[in-house]
Amino acid sequence: MTAAGAAVAALQGALAAENSAVYGYGVAGAHLTGARRAAALRNWVAHQNARDALAAMLAARGAQPVAAAAAYQLPFPVHGAGAAVSLATVLEDRLCAAYLGLVGLADQALRAFGAREARTAALRAAAWRGSTLAFPGLDVPAARPPARASGSAPSSGRPHGSPTPSHPG
Amino acid sequence: MARDATRRRVLAAAAAALPLVLAGCKGIAALGSPPKPAPDVSVATDAIAVEQQLIAHYGAVLAAVPGLAATLRPLLDQHHDHLALLRARLIVPHGGQPLPSPRATARGRAPVPGTTAAALGYLRDAEDAAAAALLAHLAAAPRSLAQLLASISASEATHALVLGTAARHR
Repeated sequence: MTAAGAAVAALQGALAAENSAVYGYGVAGAHLTGARRAAALRNWVAHQNARDALAAMLAARGAQPVAAAAAYQLPFPVHGAGAAVSLATVLEDRLCAAYLGLVGLADQALRAFGAREARTAALRAAAWRGSTLAFPGLDVPAARPPARASGSAPSSGRPHGSPTPSHPG
Repeated sequence: MARDATRRRVLAAAAAALPLVLAGCKGIAALGSPPKPAPDVSVATDAIAVEQQLIAHYGAVLAAVPGLAATLRPLLDQHHDHLALLRARLIVPHGGQPLPSPRATARGRAPVPGTTAAALGYLRDAEDAAAAALLAHLAAAPRSLAQLLASISASEATHALVLGTAARHR
């Protein structure tokens, strides 16, 4: 793949993750109250802005931004606050990985952008998870359980997978 | 004295490369530069030094404020994970240059503050500095190492968040 093609593919990957986050936060926010609902709403807006920024970056490269699906298959049923927090955590983990895809490019500006956004996603994921990871966004086998953070959001399980379009295409 | 010896070696290396440069061998002309590790090796060794420094800071704080162990141990464990994975990235060829000796001491920074909140702030600042130091190497790193550095840097940003939150609750 050419360098330009690799950049477009990585940007599309990040955009797909942002599209899925916008949908997912809409679901998660509906099951949260108080400060956690406010945080979900803040992140929902932030992900819409990030989605628009990525779409503009793709358009500037002459690429058609990948469209959001009408609905997404959630990685697990979300019927309460605990699952909503787990979903938000998964969404941010998934975004962190997608933005690290940009760090793997030759383009230095995209590398720096990807690193900045991966950091933002890792911070949000840590706030939802209530603990930190040694290698956010990377598929590195955990040597030990995630570190607990004191006084943060309640912990949640670490379900794998992320929302995927239920009607691809 | 050691510096003189290094300088002599550099001069010797430059002199040895001179005929190649004159012969127009552009590709081999790089041999004329002072002998130093390949960029990815130097990025990895610098990142290793950053992690060792952080681990030394944690050790100094744990010695000064043992009551923080429950908060700090999980974060320190993740730094050991960082260090292990960075070391695994370095494959030193047989007979190759040994790794630079680590700067694994907490010197070069102000002494560890005695109060709990100040000690947490001290480590938060060290985490922030380490996260920035790793990102400074992003441009020079090969792709997969750049991704690893960005991930570790993000992990350190989350550590700084945890430490800052803990400091505010003391």
